Order: sequence, then C-alpha cells, then structure tokens
Amino acid sequence: MKEFFQSPKIKIFLSVLLVLIMLSVFTRNVQNNVVSTSLNALTYGLSKVTAAASQDEKSDKSFDELKAENELLSQANRELRARLVDYYDVKEENTRLWKFYDLKKEHEDFSLIPARVLRRDSNDEFYSFTIDKGTSSAISAGDPVMGENGLIGWIAEADVYTAKVSTVLSPQTGIGAVDNATGDTGVLTGSAKYADRNRVIFSKLNSEHKVKEGDIITSSGSAGIYPKGLVLGEVKEIGYDTYDTSYYAVVEPYDDIKKVVDVAVICGYEGQGEILTGASE
Amino acid sequence: MMSDRLNSFFRYLAYALELVVCFALTTTPRLLPEIFGAKPALLVCVALTIAIFERELPAMIFGMIAGVLSDLSYSNGIGLFAITLTVVCFIVGYAANNLIVATFLNFLLYAAITVGLIFMLYFLVRFVIPGVEDRWAYFQAHLLSRMVQTFVMAVPFYWLNRLIYRRLGPQE
Repeated sequence: MKEFFQSPKIKIFLSVLLVLIMLSVFTRNVQNNVVSTSLNALTYGLSKVTAAASQDEKSDKSFDELKAENELLSQANRELRARLVDYYDVKEENTRLWKFYDLKKEHEDFSLIPARVLRRDSNDEFYSFTIDKGTSSAISAGDPVMGENGLIGWIAEADVYTAKVSTVLSPQTGIGAVDNATGDTGVLTGSAKYADRNRVIFSKLNSEHKVKEGDIITSSGSAGIYPKGLVLGEVKEIGYDTYDTSYYAVVEPYDDIKKVVDVAVICGYEGQGEILTGASE
Repeated sequence: MMSDRLNSFFRYLAYALELVVCFALTTTPRLLPEIFGAKPALLVCVALTIAIFERELPAMIFGMIAGVLSDLSYSNGIGLFAITLTVVCFIVGYAANNLIVATFLNFLLYAAITVGLIFMLYFLVRFVIPGVEDRWAYFQAHLLSRMVQTFVMAVPFYWLNRLIYRRLGPQE
C-alpha cells in the first residue's frame, strides 16, 4: 500500500484530478470558453445525426399508423419531387419558419432565429436541451426561446455553434408574469414537483387574487429580459403554499417541452434590457 | 496469436466504441423509453464495468471520458460526473487488481455502492445544496428509478466487457 502511494500512478491520478477540477471551475465561470466549444465541436456531428434520426418521432404511433403515414408521405414525396428537385429542402425550411410566422407578425420588432433541438440528456431532470445554433447566429445567454405556442425557456449558455436551453420547467427560471384575464401579477418558475407533468408554478400571488382555472398567463415584460405578452401557458389549478403563506397557480405551457423539436430564439426586440440586464426576471 | 499491445489496442478501441454508442443512445431525443420518469445513465454503466477489469490508469482514463461525455450532454462544462467517475474508476481499478477478485457477485456489490454513491452525490450537489424545493419529490419520482435502472443496465455491460477482456485481455 505504501508503495502504491509513492508510485507514479498516484501522481498521474492526482494530476488528472487537479486538471479536471481546474477545467471544471474554468468552464463554469467563463462563457463561450475554448474547452466547451472544442468538446461540443467534437460531438456536434454525432449529435446532428442522432437528432435527425429522431426528428419525426413526435408521437407514439402504432406500426400500422406509421406505415400508413409513411406510404402517404412516400407518395407525396414522389409527386413533389417531380415538380421541383429541391422542393423538400425549401419546404422543410419553410415549415420551420411558418411555425413562428404568427409570432413574427404579432411582434415585428422580434429578431427570430429558428433552431432545432440537437440533443437531450437523461441526466437532466428539467428537460433542458441543446440547439444547433450558437453565438455565430447572434444568439447569446439570456435570450428567450419560443416553442410553437409560447415561451419554453431561455439560453443558459451559448458557444459558437450550439447553445444550451434551460426550460421554464427549471426552478432556475423566473419570469415576471401576468394573468391576462384578471391582471394579477406574479412570478412564473419551475418546480421539481410539477416538472415531469410539464407544468410550472405561477407564484407570489396576492392574497386577494382572482386567478382561476383556464386563465392564460403571459409575460409581463417588467424587467426588460422577456418581451411583454409572450404566452406562457394556461392555469390548471390553484394552490396555497403553507411554507411562504402565499397563493400559487399551476400553469401548463401549451407546448410539450419534453418533445419539442423546433424552436425560435428571440435575439432582439424593442425595449430589450432597458430596465435590467440578467439571466432571469 | 496477437501481441499484448495489439490486444490492448483493440480492447481500448472496443471500450471507446461502447462509450460513443452509449453517448449517442443517451442523447438521442426520445430513443430510450423513460421508465418511472427516468432513463439509465449508460455512460456510468460502461465506465464502472471497464474499471473492474482494467488496471488503475486505463480505468481512470475511460472513467474520465465517460464523465466528460456525461457532463457535456448536460451542460457546457466539465463537472460532477467527470470528477466522480475519474476518482471512482481509479479506486475500483486499483481495488479490483489488488484487494478484491473481479467476480460477478463482487461486481454487483461494488456496482450498487458506486451507483448509489454517484447519484447521491449528484442529488446533493444539484438539489440539496442549491436548496431546490420539492427535491424529495424529484428523488422519489426520478432519481430512485434512474439509480435502479443504471444498476440493472450495468449487468449486461459487465458481461460484455468481461467477454472483451477475456478475448482481448493480456495473455497469461
């Protein structure tokens, strides 16, 4: 045993450990660092392939349903290919952009960057994911991320070609929100208790609040980080927190965050950062 | 008959392929089914099973790679899994060569302890220290299931890596 502690192996082990600890501190504290960018670049190709392989699995369909759908799509494919050689490339891009067309129409000041989910990880309990666009597409940490039907998260970290998205299901999220029907305000945040049911908490409600089931919650835009009026979800139930003696509402986002594939990042909008600069409101 | 050096090359290549495949399986959206709200940490399974057959340094290196890949799929930085798997695999690599015999029963005991240790540390760092509310709800709904699945999935990887080691291990 004594020999072991004096052997070169233990010195190598301790050196590796020291390097890992230093890298850990470095990568946690330096945004867009060379280590993370290099590691992401190494796995980018593989992730691109695996993401593409699962791109169309939006629902749990039976084999027969998938087969029938496949036949229909194959037929359509043949017809369309005859019309235009690159029709599918254009169509795919069009489809992705079309999902966010209404959003762009409503908010002309939004600078939207469409992106795709590159990978997810089973280690992540709040369903955060990596998208295939990074700082080279003008994306930066803190930018809001939209699903097809509303806000689903924000950019937690961004490197050159990829960006990590923390979802609204994460307790790290804090968004100033308002009940459109009653005008009640509060903070929308994730909760470990509700995350696996694709639900979040609308907390810090006034004791005389009028929030009720079915109300639509939108962002208040009070801190200049998330634009005003982004749809966050629908109230499903009302609760009372005995710990901090306040009322809260359980809100379900309109997108299924666990399955989202196409997203759009809001890189800029009128009034961005006018009141406060930071990662959350 | 192949030389030890060539054997080692192909053995390490096989381990590296295992890691790449497991990384792809783990990070591909909707590929692995969720059981009780969680999926197994396949990279942890691979690292732990390699460590029981290999010596300290190869065990440590593969533990480190598995850890870096695990961290990478979760965040942009190197962190908890890289450090814990590096330490655990080095210790196991040493113990398996000097203190314990690498039998299946010993492996089960060691896998249960190390998987439990790694995930409890993960729970501590990610949930208990930051003071996340409802952490015990998460623990019951997800982490227990993930620990059990990781432990169960370590068994086929044990037999796979045992086969690789027997076929491509050092000649007696």
